Amino acid sequence: MKENKKIIQVLVVICFLFFVLVAYLTYIQVFRSKEIVQNSYNRRQYQADENTVRGKILDRKGIVLAYNEEKDNEQRRIYPYNSLYSHVIGYSSKVYGKSLLEASYNSYLLGLDEYTKVFGLFKGSNQEKKEGNHLLLTIDHELQKLGHELLGNRNGAIVAMNPKTGEILALVSKPDFDTNEEMLAKNWKAMVESQDAPFLPRATQGLYAPGSTFKVVTSAAIIENGMDNQKFNDKGVITIDGREISNSGKKAYGEIDLKRALAVSSNVVFAQLGVKLGQEKLEDMSRRVGFGSDIPFDIPVSKSQFQYKKMEQNDMAAVAIGQGKILVSPLHMAMITSGIANDGVVMKPFLVSSIVSPSGKEIKSFKKEEFKKIMEPDVALKINKMMQEVVNSGTGKNAAINGIKVAGKTGTAENELTHQKKDKEHAWFIGFAPADDPQIAVAVVLEYSGSSGGSIAAPIAQKIMEKCLKEK
Amino acid sequence: MFYNFRPYKVETLVFGLSIILMICITYFIILKSKLGDEYLFLIVCMLISLGIVMIYRLDSDTGIKQAMWTAIGIVMFFAACMIFRLIKVWDSLAIYYMGASVLLYLITLILGKNINGATNWIVIGGQSFQPLEISKILYILFLACYFKNPDGLFFKSSRFDEFKRIQLNKLILVIFTFVNILFLMLQKEWGSILLISIVYIIVLYVFGKDRLFFLCNILMTIPVALFGYYFVYHIKVRIDTWLNPWSDIAGKGYQITQSLFAICSGGYFGTGLGLGRPDMVPAVNTDFIFSAICEEMGVLTGVAVILLYMLLTYRGLKIVIKVKSKFYKVLGLGITTMLGLQTFIIIGGVIKLIPLTGITLPYISYGGSSLVSSFIILGILQAISKEDYIDSDGEIDEGE
Repeated sequence: MKENKKIIQVLVVICFLFFVLVAYLTYIQVFRSKEIVQNSYNRRQYQADENTVRGKILDRKGIVLAYNEEKDNEQRRIYPYNSLYSHVIGYSSKVYGKSLLEASYNSYLLGLDEYTKVFGLFKGSNQEKKEGNHLLLTIDHELQKLGHELLGNRNGAIVAMNPKTGEILALVSKPDFDTNEEMLAKNWKAMVESQDAPFLPRATQGLYAPGSTFKVVTSAAIIENGMDNQKFNDKGVITIDGREISNSGKKAYGEIDLKRALAVSSNVVFAQLGVKLGQEKLEDMSRRVGFGSDIPFDIPVSKSQFQYKKMEQNDMAAVAIGQGKILVSPLHMAMITSGIANDGVVMKPFLVSSIVSPSGKEIKSFKKEEFKKIMEPDVALKINKMMQEVVNSGTGKNAAINGIKVAGKTGTAENELTHQKKDKEHAWFIGFAPADDPQIAVAVVLEYSGSSGGSIAAPIAQKIMEKCLKEK
Repeated sequence: MFYNFRPYKVETLVFGLSIILMICITYFIILKSKLGDEYLFLIVCMLISLGIVMIYRLDSDTGIKQAMWTAIGIVMFFAACMIFRLIKVWDSLAIYYMGASVLLYLITLILGKNINGATNWIVIGGQSFQPLEISKILYILFLACYFKNPDGLFFKSSRFDEFKRIQLNKLILVIFTFVNILFLMLQKEWGSILLISIVYIIVLYVFGKDRLFFLCNILMTIPVALFGYYFVYHIKVRIDTWLNPWSDIAGKGYQITQSLFAICSGGYFGTGLGLGRPDMVPAVNTDFIFSAICEEMGVLTGVAVILLYMLLTYRGLKIVIKVKSKFYKVLGLGITTMLGLQTFIIIGGVIKLIPLTGITLPYISYGGSSLVSSFIILGILQAISKEDYIDSDGEIDEGE
C-alpha cells in the first residue's frame, strides 16, 4: 500500500529527529559542558561557596591556619599566617579559583563529599548556613614557621617528615606569597610575570639535580652488589671517557674506604664505582627509589626524572655523583632519606591526618601506610652508619646536634646556570635524627645559592631537627 | 542507608505506593479486558512516573497534584477508549469539530487569563486549563474526517460537480488550518503553530492525492515563516536567542542558558535526585522538566527518555499501518506524529537544537490539561489498536 510506505517514511524521519536529539545532547555533554558549566552566570558554582561556611584547616596541634569569616553577608577566606602556607594549603578565592589543599579537599571543606551528602541530606533544610568539614593537618606549625624563617630571602624548599609514619611535619617553599584575597588581587599580575616563579610549590613540584645527596642511592647499589668492602685510591681527579671528574676543590683523599668516601663526598670514588655498576644497576636502583614514577600525595607532586636511554661511561659516572640528566623533587628526596631511616621502607607521605565534621565527629582519618620498599634493612643500616660518619667527621659537621646521633648527606649540585657563571650551585642537605631511632627526616635545598650544602643547608636542617626533637 | 533518613515522611512512601498501585491496576485492566496494544500504556507509565518523581522532588504539593491529574487522566483514558469504540459516528462530525474548536478559541480570547505571558488559559471553578490542548485533538479529528472522503465532506448534496466539490473542500481544509493558526497566533502559541503545521503537512504528504496542492502548501509556509521572523517580534527574539543565547544571558537568553547550565551540570549520570539545583531553571516543572531530569538523573536518562518517546511513536505508527479504516489511519497518524513532534520541539528547544517554543513535554511536564488531553490521545490510540486486533481476526483484504 502506498500510504503505508509513506507512513514508514514518516516514522523514519521522526526516528531520525529523535536520533538528532540524542546526538546533539551527547555532543553538548562531551564537547561543550565544561565550558558551559564554568560560565560565570552559572550560579551553581558559587552556590556551594556562598551558602557554606568553608571548613577550617588546622595544624597537628589545633592551630587554625585557615578559616572563613563573614563580612557584609559574604564569605571570606582568611589565612592568618599570610604567606606561610601558600605552597601547602594554597588559596581559595572567588576570582582566582582554588589551589593545592583547598582544591584537592574542596568537596570535604564545603561538605559536598559523599558522607556529608548522605548523612546530612535531611538536616540542612533550614535557613542556617551549611558548615563544611575541618581538615586536620600533619604539619607542625612551629616547625613550619622556623623553616620559613631559616630560609629567609633565599629561594628553596624544606621538607620535614616522620620517617616511620610518613606524616609531613613541615613543607616550606620559597618564594611564597600572601594567599589572602585582597593581597592576591594586589600582587597577582606582578607574580604572574615574575621570573622567580612564586606560584611554583618548590617542595613538591620543583625539580633539582640531587648532587652528592644522590650518593646514598648509589651507595645502596654498591652495597647490594658487594662492592663496599674494598679500598679506593682517591687522587682528587679522574678522567673517564675523556671527561675529567674531580672532587670538590680537587682534594685528594688517598687510600679510603666507601664509608670515608661518602663522608668526604668523594666524586672520584663514586664516579669510578658508578661506571663499575653499569647502566642496568644504576637505573634499577633509581627506579626502585621512585624515579620516573608518580608519588601519591594530597597535593600534586612532580615526577622525579631519570632521562637516559643509552648511557655512556661518563653518564654513569655523572649519575653516580648525582649530576647528569637526573632531577628530583625535595619531597622525593625526603622520602628516600626516610626510607633509609626506616629500614628500607618508604612510608606513603601525607598532609591531612583526619577530616572532622562540624559537630566534631571524625568522618575520615588517614593512617600510616607503606608506600614501597627500596632496600633491604641491612643495606639501609649500613648507609645509616655511613651517613652518621658524614655528620661526625665529614662534610655535614654543621648538622651535628649535641647528644643526639644525626645521619646526613650534603650535596652541592651543578645546574644549567653553573656552566655559565660560578657560584650558582644548589645547596642540598638530607638527614635524619636520632640515627638509632629516627623521628624526623629532612631535605633542604637552596636554589642557586653558590655555597656548599655543608655550609648553608646543613645548619638549617640541624635547627629543624633539633627543634622537632626538643618538642617531643 | 534508609534508616539514616531520620525524619523521612510516611506520606511520601504512601504516595509512591499508591501511584505504583494505580499503574498496576490500570495495566491489569488493559490486559484482562483485551484493550489492544499493551505496550503503549507501559511506555507512557514509565514517562509518567519519571515526571511525577521529578515534580514531587521539585515541590511535593505539585507532585501530589500531578498524581491526582494522572488518576483523572487514566479515567479519561478509559473513557476515551470506551466512548471511541462504542460510538462510531466520529467520522461524520466534521462540522461539529470545527464549530467546537472555533468556540473554544473564542472563549479563550474573551475569558482568557494571562498566565506566564500567554493568554491561553481559562479558569473554571478555580482550576485553570488550556483549551488549546483540546483544540489540537479536534483539529486532528477534523483532518481525519476530511481525508476519509476528500470529495464529499461538505456540499455532498449540492449541485456542484465532483471536481468543484473537491476544490471547495480543499479550500475549507486550508481555511480551517489557517483559522487554527490565526487563533494560536493571537494566543502567541508559536510551538503549537509549528506543531499543527507539521502535522498538517505530514498528513497531507501521506494521504493527499494532489501533488501540486501539497507543494503549494509547503511553499506557502516559507513566506509565512519569513513574515513571522521579520515582523513578529516574539519570533525574532526566539530565533536570535537560539542563535546566540550567550550574548544576553541575564536577559533574553536567560531561560535557555539556565537550561543548558542544568543539563551540563548533571554530567552523564546526574548529580543524584535532590542534589542538583534544577530550581534555578525557570518553568522547570513544565517546559523545562527535561533539563531537570538531565541535571539530576544524568544525560543518559535524558537519552533514555528520548528513546521511550521514539518507542511510543514507533508503536503508534505500527498500529496506524495495521489499521485499515482510513479515518482511523489518519487519526492515528495525526495524534502519533503530534506526540512525537511535540516531544522533539520541546526537547530540541531546551537543549538549544532548535529555537525554544514553550510547549509541554507530553506525559512528563506538570499540567492538568496537558496531561488529561495526552491521556485522551492515548485512549484514542488504544481504541484504534483494538480495531486492528479485531480486524486481524477476520479476513484481511489488502489493496483498497
